Amino acid sequence: MSQFGTNQAAERKLNIDAGGGQPLPRFSQRVLAIMDDLIRVEHLTKIYERGEVLALNDVSFTVKKGEFLVLLGLSGSGKSTLLRCLNRLIEPTAGTILFDGEDVTKAQPKQLRHLRRRMAMIFQQFNLVKRSSVLTNVLSGRLGYMNPGASAIHKYAKQDVDDAMASLERVGIPEQAYKRADELSGGQQQRVGIARALMQNPELMMADEPVSALDPATAHSIMQYLELMNQEDGVTVIASLHFLSLARRYGTRILALKDGQIVFEGSPAEIDKDKFKEIYGEDAEEVEVR
Amino acid sequence: MRMPKKSKSGKHYTLGHRLSDAFPRFFAFMLDWASWGYVAYGVMYLLNKYWYVRHVNFYGTLTLPVWGWPVVIISTFELALISHVLGQSIGLQMRGLRLYGPDYTSPTLSMRLRRWATAHLVLIAQPFAVLFGSRKPGLLLHDRDATGYMVDVYRTKDDLPFEKPTRWYQTYRGLFIVFLLSLTFWLGWKITTINLRMLIDRISKSGHIWKDLVTPNFSYLTEDVIPGRTFSILYYMLETMFMAFFATVSGAIVAFPLSFLGARNIMGFNAFGWVIYSVMRTLFNALRSIESILMAVMFAVWVGFGNPFAGAMALFLHTIAALAKLYSEQVEAVDKGPLEAMAATGARRWQIVIYGVIPQIIPSFLAFTLYRWDINIRMATVIALVGGGGIGTLLFYFKNEVGRLDDAWNQVGAVIVAIIIVVWVLDYISARVREKIG
Repeated sequence: MSQFGTNQAAERKLNIDAGGGQPLPRFSQRVLAIMDDLIRVEHLTKIYERGEVLALNDVSFTVKKGEFLVLLGLSGSGKSTLLRCLNRLIEPTAGTILFDGEDVTKAQPKQLRHLRRRMAMIFQQFNLVKRSSVLTNVLSGRLGYMNPGASAIHKYAKQDVDDAMASLERVGIPEQAYKRADELSGGQQQRVGIARALMQNPELMMADEPVSALDPATAHSIMQYLELMNQEDGVTVIASLHFLSLARRYGTRILALKDGQIVFEGSPAEIDKDKFKEIYGEDAEEVEVR
Repeated sequence: MRMPKKSKSGKHYTLGHRLSDAFPRFFAFMLDWASWGYVAYGVMYLLNKYWYVRHVNFYGTLTLPVWGWPVVIISTFELALISHVLGQSIGLQMRGLRLYGPDYTSPTLSMRLRRWATAHLVLIAQPFAVLFGSRKPGLLLHDRDATGYMVDVYRTKDDLPFEKPTRWYQTYRGLFIVFLLSLTFWLGWKITTINLRMLIDRISKSGHIWKDLVTPNFSYLTEDVIPGRTFSILYYMLETMFMAFFATVSGAIVAFPLSFLGARNIMGFNAFGWVIYSVMRTLFNALRSIESILMAVMFAVWVGFGNPFAGAMALFLHTIAALAKLYSEQVEAVDKGPLEAMAATGARRWQIVIYGVIPQIIPSFLAFTLYRWDINIRMATVIALVGGGGIGTLLFYFKNEVGRLDDAWNQVGAVIVAIIIVVWVLDYISARVREKIG
């Protein structure tokens, strides 16, 4: 991939060929396949105009319902951009994203908001409002569902407050509900982030390097909450991670990115030394998080 | 991974690209030319002061002869051009531009001199070349000579070879800036006719005033100065404080919603938002640039000389503009993370503002408002100078009585002491409150 010219995503955007040139399977088979795909990404490309940087280069993959997909890759490989394109926090340049059969890339503002309610997200830096109480932060996960007038004057439905306390209980910090968010430790803040995500009753949980800012022990406890959501509630999880050991332990499938392109797609067991070097570069050494 | 510039329409080097390449160079050159012009002005001024007025004609002024203007214009142009091609230009440094030879080597002296010559040749053709010129990326007219390229260091940082940074005093450019600053200081000293001798020699002239000021006469503290016309110091002090309080509170109430309209991160989601943003920003800046004392002049004519309503209105308008500007900068500086997280939950834009932006900005809003109250109190004390009402009314009343009243300066002293106490107390309170909030 040397020059901009070799990327044909823009041409494809005009005339999308879902089969990528292959003969298409029968209609009924396609419908069945689409039914268990929660997310279907086709030829996704993102170019940051200002820096003239190609962040995602013709990425296509699908995520099945109930999967725990781990995104691997170095910093700057496009993991965060990819996650943010899925709910259009970042506007993709070209390509299509189907979420449960609905086209995210073409969604109008209202439809987009309704789609976003079904996809929760947690962040590396937790992204809580530091000066607000933990409970308010958790409740803000419900904003998309709330009565707009009531939410304008911070009036919450009893059901929402009960749900918020229940989510906090689920992540094990109900006693912190009335503290300010910045009084909590990093691990606790990420749990608040998860509780906020739980408020959405999401079908998809996106985690953008959820444990990079945490110590190894806390990292495992956060990952276990994600695993719990995945296994008990059947929430599909897409998590970007730095450590291969965490990816092996929690992921059911791994997608590795390098320079905005997919370089590996498969089960955790398939990543051997060579694959590892391909993803992380020749000089990389594997570091384990226990 | 970087990509070569390519426009959407497929043309390589469009007018937009040529303009965006040409403008920084034009700006840089104009800055250099202007700075050499400033040096020429300084030389003329100092020649006048130290030679012409002293030795030639005391009542005259040294002026340029008719042929002097083209000489100055051309010679400053040449000096700017030479500093340009020698890589010692302030303008190029400011815009992050640097001259390189082929393959980013440092250009040799002969290359630089050739560039200096070709710059003259293309002087007239250059604007046309920018407007109708080449489609080759990154080539303005005299770059095609292949003696050197002007490279935008910031835009192409990754590709440039590493260079050891030089200290400012090791370059002519840095020394030239120091020279410009010293010239400015010298000129400023001369133009404002600063004279330390006079300050010391005539100290006795104002001596008695100082003595009177520090022995204030508080006889009118609670008693009206002229019953039925001019009130007591305490009354005017209260008037001043309420004037400032009214202006600050109502100004803050108006500025609060406006500040969101003037914040780029809130309004910058579509073209319509950008229009509102630009209009608001222009409005703030225009209002802010009119000092409240000038507004008070207008309102004093409008609602009556000496009416505190005039002062309150002037402070109110200025407060709106000043606070809205400060507030909107705070809104622009909020942590974007929580906003992103809320957008990801499917919240509406204004819900994000209420739950994500407002909690983050409340403390700095309060701090700025208190600070503004502080400023308004201080402004309110002098706004009476132009008929805005408040404690200044007495200040200038007594000052104008100097000569008619024996103890006029002592009365002025009393007013000043009252002002100092109030300003000091309020300053202390607002500092403590800001400390608490922060």
